[in-house]
Amino acid sequence: MTLKHVGKGVQRTDAVRKATGEATYVADIVVPRMLHAKVLRAGVPHAKILSIDTSRAESMPGVRKVVTGRGCSMLFGTCLWDQPPIAVDKVRHAGEAVAVVVADTENQAAAAVKEIRAEYERLPFVLDPVKAAAPDAPIIHERNGEYRRVEYSVHPVTGGNIFHHYKLRKGDENEGFAKADVTVEGEFEFPISSHSAIEPHGAICRFGSDGGIEVWASNQAPFVLRDVLADMFGVPAAKVRVHIPYLGGGFGGKSDVSIEPLVAYAASFVPGYAVKLVLTRAEVISSSLVGRGMKGRMKIGAKLDGTFTALRAEMYFASGAYGDTGWPVFTVAGHNCTGPYEFPNAIVDVYGVYTNSPNVGAYRGYGHPEGQFMSSRLIDMLARKLETTPEELMRKNYLRDGSRNALGQRIKKSTGDLFGCLDAVEKALAETPLPEGDERYAYGRGVASMMKSPKMAANSSSCCHVQVNTDGSAFVNLAGIEMGQGVQTVFSQMAAEALQIPLDKVRIYSEVDTQFSPWEWQTVASMQTYRGGRAIQDACCGIIATAKETAARVWNCAPCLVTYRDGECVHPNTGEVLTLGQLARGYMAEDGLTTGTPLQSVGSYRVPGLVEPDPETGMGNAAGSWTFGVQGCTLRVDKQTGEVKILHFASAFDVGRAINPTTARGQVTGGVVHAMGATLMEQILFTDEGVAKNVNFPAYKIPRLHDAPEKQTVVLLETPNEEGPWSAKPMAEHPVVAVAPVILNALRNATGVEFTSLPVTPARILEALKNGKEVL
Amino acid sequence: MRVLNLTVNGVNRTVHLEEGRVMLSSVLRDSLGLTGVKVGCGTGQCGSCTVVMNGKAVTSCTVLAEKAEGATVLTIESLSEGGELHPIQQAFVEADAIQCGFCTPGLIMRLYALFAENPDADEAAIAGELDKHLCRCTGYENIVKAAKLAQEKIRSGAVPVAR
Repeated sequence: MTLKHVGKGVQRTDAVRKATGEATYVADIVVPRMLHAKVLRAGVPHAKILSIDTSRAESMPGVRKVVTGRGCSMLFGTCLWDQPPIAVDKVRHAGEAVAVVVADTENQAAAAVKEIRAEYERLPFVLDPVKAAAPDAPIIHERNGEYRRVEYSVHPVTGGNIFHHYKLRKGDENEGFAKADVTVEGEFEFPISSHSAIEPHGAICRFGSDGGIEVWASNQAPFVLRDVLADMFGVPAAKVRVHIPYLGGGFGGKSDVSIEPLVAYAASFVPGYAVKLVLTRAEVISSSLVGRGMKGRMKIGAKLDGTFTALRAEMYFASGAYGDTGWPVFTVAGHNCTGPYEFPNAIVDVYGVYTNSPNVGAYRGYGHPEGQFMSSRLIDMLARKLETTPEELMRKNYLRDGSRNALGQRIKKSTGDLFGCLDAVEKALAETPLPEGDERYAYGRGVASMMKSPKMAANSSSCCHVQVNTDGSAFVNLAGIEMGQGVQTVFSQMAAEALQIPLDKVRIYSEVDTQFSPWEWQTVASMQTYRGGRAIQDACCGIIATAKETAARVWNCAPCLVTYRDGECVHPNTGEVLTLGQLARGYMAEDGLTTGTPLQSVGSYRVPGLVEPDPETGMGNAAGSWTFGVQGCTLRVDKQTGEVKILHFASAFDVGRAINPTTARGQVTGGVVHAMGATLMEQILFTDEGVAKNVNFPAYKIPRLHDAPEKQTVVLLETPNEEGPWSAKPMAEHPVVAVAPVILNALRNATGVEFTSLPVTPARILEALKNGKEVL
Repeated sequence: MRVLNLTVNGVNRTVHLEEGRVMLSSVLRDSLGLTGVKVGCGTGQCGSCTVVMNGKAVTSCTVLAEKAEGATVLTIESLSEGGELHPIQQAFVEADAIQCGFCTPGLIMRLYALFAENPDADEAAIAGELDKHLCRCTGYENIVKAAKLAQEKIRSGAVPVAR
């Protein structure tokens, strides 16, 4: 059937609301009886709390309550319950909350925070994950290993700071390297960075006198948040209501939970009043969720013909003070670190380590950029050692029909076309010849391939509710959070396609509210188009089935004889039609006699057959889908200033189907620039005292227009598959995965310097050029 | 209590300022309910809070409220009064220059000030103004396209840019 809406670059459903400033974000929300909160942060990275004197703050104008952790016995989490909502007896990172002032205005709360006196006994602190994993490291959690956890998934090593050890054991390390003719190895670092969504995190919470809890938050996971708060406060989940307006960017930094437990804890002391907290930028960078934080080493073995025989990797993650948002990222970093290549033997150990830094959580790419940074750099090095090209080495070892990935899953042709992606990137880059270098400039080119699977709980699903109105329009309700990725637009397109009605007859939900929205696991892992789309198809099938049943009753025939097309049921013989609008409330005859049921339907989709990786082998059917891609660039290095200019960045992803090619392209162009930041400029730096220091723009530098590539090429391949709706697969995080190795491979090509840690700043490039090699 | 008089989107307003440091962004958002003014960093670096004050684009999060005494301020809310999009807004919609939308009103107001002063601003001048803003979603490509499209729309005289 010809597609009318899917595959079209239609205008975003939210564009006008956002262009006019009407779109509502959490900071814009004002509710009755609303108070404002400000937070006192620890300011020391690791310390025992001796005392907190709040008496002066309590007597300040407008102050309603000053909340500390004294007496708080709550720990919250989703799989590892290791975090109190506010520091209780010790602080574990400098950005941790030690007191919250609730006042009539924000200014009053801020003034009162300055009057709180906290006394600490400082403890030795550790920021480096390798040092934190060492036996003599300061212990950050005395109870590591004793916390409540999901035992099949979270694997602590008791007695130190390692709270999660993921191990992958595919094949045999010794056998694999014995078969190798050559090996390459290296040490790598992907530092802590900030998601830097332009909208800061915010939350409003109100405890009702009836025991209900109501929350408005900038959060990607309303139902997770609901369940976490219900668990924390011991109330039924059904009594917690979470509203989510538009998000001004998420990138994982607003997934799971971040500041909400703190706001809820403070609000629980002023029942009947709402408490609002919107973070400052400094708090976003130092005290919400951050990303990455990996130090690792990897070794790859290959035969002389380039066939990979073995991979060995170790990764240490500076997870920060608490581990619940970190552990799944680290598991994924482990089983994905091979990149899209077949390694018959792959032995990987990943350690999630408590450190005295902000909590690491989901960040666009979710473990994949960290692990594949290592393998993609090593493949570039291996190609030189074997005197071949990286491209030939990639082609030799790509996952293809019949090969087995690190999890042991069998790859099918429909999984994706890496060869086609590489061809597309090579062709794009070849359009302009690599310029000759001169006194001032050096030019280089680099390529890297990637793969990504969504990490999700095996029971995660999307649900969709569709309701048809008497004018034939349809209201389509899901709980995918619109955070810029364009989920509402592609949902509208898919619903219009499934119901075969015009796009302007579909109205999509404009906010998510756990009281009215159908259940959804959470908006993470680029899964909404893929999983939500299948739920839409399911719900729309239900609408069509009900419409056919009603029409068949009217016509006194079997429903299977009724044809449905373009929003109408067609009589099998006469060609008479009944529209969705006519059938919306059941069919009502002229005399009012009505038959059939209202046209509404609930659909759902759960990726079938998923399991958590086996605790011993780290393998299993843990990834429901794979998306493959290749990226490459041509860049210029200014040898006088060390500045890098990307002249052309080319990306090709096999997305199965681009539901909206225009917005899909936007995900790629944006993702590339986002990851350029991580590669060339972004890192949260700490003072010698262990306090995050570059916590504002531009000390924390993210790309501006003048940093963007001069040109981007985006190619979207569409290999048919049976997984996604109309073959559509996850693709929104994917553009960040290979960017760092692409740029570093190109820098090697331009300068001869092997960079293995990020960010590669102009100062580091100048230093390396001066010394003729990379200085770590 | 301090009192601030200013003209916002063509209407004379009197605002009572609370104790302490109060920024223009807070006056516009909290006192006047103009939530199209977005605050992303509070230090004038991201540009999301950009409004037009006395004809110039300013980051309202770094303008002390007192400095706006007697000023004429335009916010994003003034551009589409009556429901019709301003050509700059229309260009952002058409060029797919909007993702999360948080930086959008500030960018639009920056271009409004630029094109009001110089409808023929060249590519470098446009880029220089856009460079004062941070967008974490789009990679800027479509924002540049939108700015050029907006300029074309304004030059073709669809709607006068200055009120």
